[in-house]
This record gives sequence, C-alpha cells and structure tokens, in this order.
Amino acid sequence: MKEQVVCKTSDLQPGEIRESFFGKQNIIICRTQNDNFYAFMNQCIHQGAPLGKSLLCGATTGESTPGDYHYCHKDEVIRCPWHGREFDMKNEGRMLANPDKKLVSFKVRIENEDVIVYK
Amino acid sequence: MAKKQIPLIDTDIHERVQYKDILEYLDEPFKHYMKNCHWIQEKHMPYTQPATAGVDRADAILPDGRPAGSDLAFMQEQLLDDVGHEFGILTGALDPSPSSMHGWYEMAAALATAYNDWQIEHWLEKDERLYGSVHIASQDRDEAVKEIERVGSHPKMVQILLPIDDIMWGDPYYHPIFEAAEKHDLMIGMHHNEPPVYYGKWPRYFIEWHTLIPTAHMKIIVNMIFNGVFDKFPKLGLMMIEGGFTHIPHLMWKMDQQFRDLRHEVPWLKRKPSEIMKEQVRITTQPAEELTKKEFMSLIDQMGTDEMLCFSTDYPHWDYDSPYRALPNMEPELKEKIFSENARAFYPKLPDKRED
Ligand code: FES
Repeated sequence: MKEQVVCKTSDLQPGEIRESFFGKQNIIICRTQNDNFYAFMNQCIHQGAPLGKSLLCGATTGESTPGDYHYCHKDEVIRCPWHGREFDMKNEGRMLANPDKKLVSFKVRIENEDVIVYK
Repeated sequence: MAKKQIPLIDTDIHERVQYKDILEYLDEPFKHYMKNCHWIQEKHMPYTQPATAGVDRADAILPDGRPAGSDLAFMQEQLLDDVGHEFGILTGALDPSPSSMHGWYEMAAALATAYNDWQIEHWLEKDERLYGSVHIASQDRDEAVKEIERVGSHPKMVQILLPIDDIMWGDPYYHPIFEAAEKHDLMIGMHHNEPPVYYGKWPRYFIEWHTLIPTAHMKIIVNMIFNGVFDKFPKLGLMMIEGGFTHIPHLMWKMDQQFRDLRHEVPWLKRKPSEIMKEQVRITTQPAEELTKKEFMSLIDQMGTDEMLCFSTDYPHWDYDSPYRALPNMEPELKEKIFSENARAFYPKLPDKRED
C-alpha cells in the first residue's frame, strides 16, 4: 500500500478526528483549526486505546513554572481517551511526558479535496 | 486477527447508578429529599478532571450520552464479552453512593439499602458473571450491621465495601461489622473514595493525591494488623483495591522489622505482620506501575508469595488497565494465579473453576 485517498477534506471539520482505513490498517485522520491534516494508527501505544475517541486540544507546556501555567499548542495535541496521555501531532506524534515514545504516524497530503495518506 | 480471550476474574468493575434510577429503591422521606429537594451528594475534589471524559474512559460513555458503567449490555459488549471475563466484582462507589458520604447518617443508610437492592436487581441477577459488594453507611455502625444481615447472604455478594472515615478500621468500633462479614463469608474491600491523604486535606495537585492512594491503604493495613483484627477474625480477608502494588514489599519489611523491636506493645500478635498479610490481605493490580518483566518478577520475589496480587481493570474509569497490556508477559502458571486463581481462592463465595 503506497498511498490512498482516505477521505475528502470536507469529511471532517477543524478540530475533528475521523477513523478510516489505510489498506488494512485502522487509522485516524485529524484536522486542526489551521486546517493541517495528520494521520496516525488508531491505537494508542500505551495500552491500545482507540484513538478515534481522543480529544484534539491544547496543552500546558514545559515553559510553565511551578504555580504559573503556560498553555499553547492550540488543538495540536491528541489526548488519549483512556489515560489521557498527550501526543504532539506537530512533533511526529511524540508523547509530551516522554518524547522518546511516539504514535505510529503516516504522511498526509491534500490534493484538490482529497486527503491522501502515504508511507 | 481475533483477540485471545482471557478468562479473567476482574476484581474492580464500576457499575454506575443514576439518581433517577435509584429513586424507586429509596424509602420515604429520602426519596422525597432526592426527588423534590434535589439532594445531590457533596463533591470535594478541587481539581480538574483527570482525563478527557471526567473520571471515565471516553469510549465507555454510552452512545446516547448516559454515563459510563450505567448500562449492562454495553458493559457486556465492551468489557465482559470482549475480554472473556469469567467473573467480575462490582465496586460501584461513584455518587450517589454511601461510600463517600459523611454526616446525615439516615440518608447514608437509606442510600446503602437502595443501592444494594438496585445492584442486585440490575446487575447481579442479570449476568451470572457479575458478583457484588455490599454497600454500607458505617457512620451508623448498627444500621450498617443490619444492612449486612439483610443482603449479606445473597449468593452473589462477596464483600463489604467499607467506607473510609476518620475512625481507622482496626478500631473495635468495627468489630461487629467484621463479625457480620465472617458470618456471611464476606471479605472487606477498601476502595478509595476521595479520602484526602494529606493530613486531612487535599494536596495541591491531583497527581499528588493519586500517587499517594497507596499510603491510605498502608495506614489501614498497619492499623488492622497491629490492632489484632486478623487474629480476632481469622476468616476475615482484606482486599485493597486500586492502589497499585509496588508498595507491598516495603510495607511487609517495615512492619516485620518494627515488630521485632516493638513486639512488647502488641503482644497479641500471633504471627509476623508479613505472614498475616500473606494470609489475609490481597491487592488488586490497577493502576499497575509500569514494570519490566524483570522488575515485576523481582517484586513478586520480594513479596515472598505470588498469591497476593489479583488483576483488576477498574473499568470504565479513565485509568483502566487493559488485561492485555498492563502487566508484563509472565509464565502461564503465574498468569493464571494473578488473573483468576488468587481472587478465586480469596473470595469464598466465588464458584470453583469450571471443568469443561
Ligand atoms: S492507552 Fe492511551 S494513554 Fe493509556
């Protein structure tokens, strides 16, 4: 499976996640408020939760100091539906608390209205 | 590829009642207080919710919006049938529930009765895999004993979920409850229900509180052991639910060492504290600290027995442990113990293994 049209851009609104298939693999497509699209395997690397039920949201950052929160990332973080671990979509799906770990990701490009996933 | 089924005895599953559903089980005037006066249980926790759907797994909320854990058919599909549970032990405990009520003894006792009746009718008698916990309001001990006498002989009630209060469980105040427990072959379960662990107050952050839940367990174990509860009630067993398990070897070593020095103060102890724990205390695994296989095996070794840990999922809560992923791989014999046989040996009312 080299590449595949998985949906139309209009199939999901900004801030939404949609489940799809890339070949036999169950994946999620995420659309940010800025209309960036990302694709990941629909399975959390921690204990396997279905990421289709995640929340796209912002996150408090490492620039925070005790008692003083710094918040950003807007909607660029995937929070897992089970334990709530945070994965940064813009940074290859790396876990905020442990960037050595990352979600299984796929490349995405948009052509006309098509969302195309490829390896 | 189909997932391999695990014939699990799951020692912590949360069914959830809604206020409107418990009404018909409440006696007056308590029904009136809930229905017409809009009584709701006080809430304490000063933090944001831990995960994306409050305290629940986001995918466990029902498609029609009802709260996670409130529908048996959905629980069967998402958990019991999916994993292949042999049995599950219900632990309820979110509001409305007597487990976290302080004050208003009458309401708490009425709520316990209503809760138990609802649990029996909607869960225990609807799915043969499900076993239950007797809820009591122990702030009125004598009413609590009456409630145990009322429902404790139900064949599917396997433990008493004892609410956490500022009277420690080793206090003789609880002896009549333990007596009633022994009489009905019920074990005692401790499941945290928002007990502040910081000197009677909440810590600044949820993560501190959640990290320190085992300290609440440790205090109760130490108190019950040194106050002689387990010798006075030899059939009694204590299930420590939802505190993880890596603190156990520490506690055994610490109590044994202290006992060697200070035996004179508690001369009624007939066994070493660690022996008492091995015989009468069990620990559910969730939320499992993430150990490598080597670390996990070494921990079991430090406990001196592989018969204390009992797997639990805590479904449908946010910190659910997957039976497939939460613990490292282990030998089939050990897995069988942790995933089913330890719990079966602990709860006298759980059926023997089916030979089929
Ligand atoms: S399964 Fe995703 S954070 Fe645990």
